Amino acid sequence: MNIYVLGVALHPAVGNERTMRLEEMAYHTARSALDHAGISRKQLDSLTIGACDELDGRPISSMLMSAPAGAYNIDEIKVTDSGASALCLAYARFLSGESELGMVVSWCKSSKTNPESVMLLRGDPFYTRPLGVGTAVSDALFAQAVGEEYGVTEQEVNERVVSAFRKAAGNERGMRHPVPDEASLVASPLDATPLRAAQRAPYTDGAAALVLATDTFLDANPECHPLARLSGVGWASDSYRLEAKRLRAMNSARAAWQTALSRAGLKDADDLDVIELDSQTGYHEAAYVRAFGIKKQDAVSPSGGPFAQNPYFCTGLVNAVEAVLQVSNQAGAVQRDGVRRAAAHGCHGCAQQGNVVMVFEAAQRGGQ
Amino acid sequence: MTETVAVLGTFQTPFRTRHLDHTFAEQAQLAAVGAMNDAGMTPDDVDAIIFSLAPSHFMGVADADRWSLDYVFGAGKPVMRVHTGGATGGSAVQAGYNLIRSGLYRSVMIVGAERIAETPDAQKVLNLIFDQFYERDMPLSTNTTVALWATAYLHRHGFTQEDMARVVVRARRNALKNPNAHLKGDVTIEEVMASPMISYPLKLFDICPRSSGSAAMILGNMDMAKSFSTRPAFINGAASRTTTYWLGDRMTPSTDSEYFDCKIMEQVGQFALRNARITDPLNQIQVTEFYDPYSIMTPIQLEQLGFCAPGTAYRLEREGYWNVEGGAVAVNPSGGTLCTNPIAVTGLVRAIDAANQIMRKAGTMQVPGVKNAVSSSVGGIAQFYNCTVFGDEPRGH
Repeated sequence: MNIYVLGVALHPAVGNERTMRLEEMAYHTARSALDHAGISRKQLDSLTIGACDELDGRPISSMLMSAPAGAYNIDEIKVTDSGASALCLAYARFLSGESELGMVVSWCKSSKTNPESVMLLRGDPFYTRPLGVGTAVSDALFAQAVGEEYGVTEQEVNERVVSAFRKAAGNERGMRHPVPDEASLVASPLDATPLRAAQRAPYTDGAAALVLATDTFLDANPECHPLARLSGVGWASDSYRLEAKRLRAMNSARAAWQTALSRAGLKDADDLDVIELDSQTGYHEAAYVRAFGIKKQDAVSPSGGPFAQNPYFCTGLVNAVEAVLQVSNQAGAVQRDGVRRAAAHGCHGCAQQGNVVMVFEAAQRGGQ
Repeated sequence: MTETVAVLGTFQTPFRTRHLDHTFAEQAQLAAVGAMNDAGMTPDDVDAIIFSLAPSHFMGVADADRWSLDYVFGAGKPVMRVHTGGATGGSAVQAGYNLIRSGLYRSVMIVGAERIAETPDAQKVLNLIFDQFYERDMPLSTNTTVALWATAYLHRHGFTQEDMARVVVRARRNALKNPNAHLKGDVTIEEVMASPMISYPLKLFDICPRSSGSAAMILGNMDMAKSFSTRPAFINGAASRTTTYWLGDRMTPSTDSEYFDCKIMEQVGQFALRNARITDPLNQIQVTEFYDPYSIMTPIQLEQLGFCAPGTAYRLEREGYWNVEGGAVAVNPSGGTLCTNPIAVTGLVRAIDAANQIMRKAGTMQVPGVKNAVSSSVGGIAQFYNCTVFGDEPRGH
């Protein structure tokens, strides 16, 4: 069975969405994805939501959010790890024959609920929480670990950050933040050693949606044209402990990467034309490029990744949309030439406890 | 080509208000180890994990599944958390079923824990699930909204509070044989009627307890079933539906998901039962394990899943139709959710109790000759409904 992407949508990048409630953001994004796919909501038979109660600011947030996201009298489920994780479960739902036409929707209004506070609440009450380990500290521990493991220098980190901002500046779907120079990065304050404030991707508000369908649906609806084929997904988690061994090994990232490529029938990073990485800092990009064995630097995050927009919980799913746009030649100003296969990466949890990789191919169906 | 999905091992702890002897993560580990022991498996035999965890607001550690990851042997594995409110456990089983049936993994452990009594009053947390502009200040809670539901149902079908009480009497009597049940005992209709009124017509005994504990279930494909189980239960049907958040929209004449008779249950039931080739639930299903945290929710599920006609389940209750001994169908031989409600894993426990009946592992609760059993879970004021059909052999798909 093949699984195709029929339509995608992103909420317009914004640092602080003051004109819409969260449910309105989800509604407009889902509506846009359905329109992009050329189908109606009533045709859907499944919805897979990626959302986090704590970031949404209410318990069982899918009660309020499921209908705006497209679920009304259909099979809906919510995954709380990340938006990209929801795409993985949707992939399984399709392969198991449960769905023929479904949508994956995820969102995050970072301006409404401070992600740092939520991450602090994720600390176990006995050891981690009293230490105040949240996003900044755990990312800094990761930066220290991979810096030592791979010999990543601050100069390389700064070059990667400037490059990411420069690519993001060309992405009409991104924030188009001003591109900093390396001197300003070095001068920015240390959030937690060795991580400086300007080396981190700024949080934004956003939402992402993808409409997925099987061969069966497309056979019955020849007027629908796929944008891409979802050829493989992989996900894995690491230990909760923030010890150096775990941080240096990046085991879950490697496992997710290898699983997704294997399912897609690919050998290594050289088989991919674009790889959209969820690099929350310059250290992350330096680490992931090495862990994934990416040699083609120009294949890395042409969208700018989180430095274009970073709706924290769903940044991985934003990357998936960017990857689909690349293989369907619809990426606009950041489009790369001749993209046949693109991978999207997402990570979640303290110091990237979980990693997700999704592989998309140009749609090869019925001569399209 | 999809894979057959079998239940290979299950485990649940005793449920009570508090488990002061273990942390949340340790509770989850107890369940994981218990299910692996039951299946004769080691952590290496488990390919992937689905964590069943409803709002972590109850226990105060956000996304506590991450804290528990090492405890359930998840480091290095594909792990995912599912959360659909009260329906979480059922949704988690369905997600595990998807991972196996799709062919992505050979075996999946569904595991979770609940520690709801960490919050002094769960109803105050549950008030926060409602709309902050219109509904929270009324104040809506699960108790008050189900009270509206019960009032309408009793009025519509001509039943009384005594009919509700009869469900409680049967449930607590059944739970006497369940070593893990939180509430159990030989209570009388008069004692139920005399219990304190919480929200008319719901009295204290009509309402589930706040339970803590943990549970796990291991699913596998046919190859794993041959290796690890001599009598597995097979998941022959699984389905869920979500309807509108807004209760008012479910009360209009033109609604297509009516609140008081809970039509969403009928839609899910028809789908899941059809997948399992069940055409006559009353005669083909021997055991139900319904998610029924209120005494009003048992008859509605019996009616909407096709065990009896709408508006007749309470009358049949009077005649003993739903008794374990001498009844037409053994309804909640475990005592059900009325006796034990650890929200994060309640749907999972329902599925475990149903699967155990197929696997002949229900102990003193065992009903003889069970070929098919059904479990359910309900979340978000009956906004989410999930149904799983277990059989003693693969049927349907």
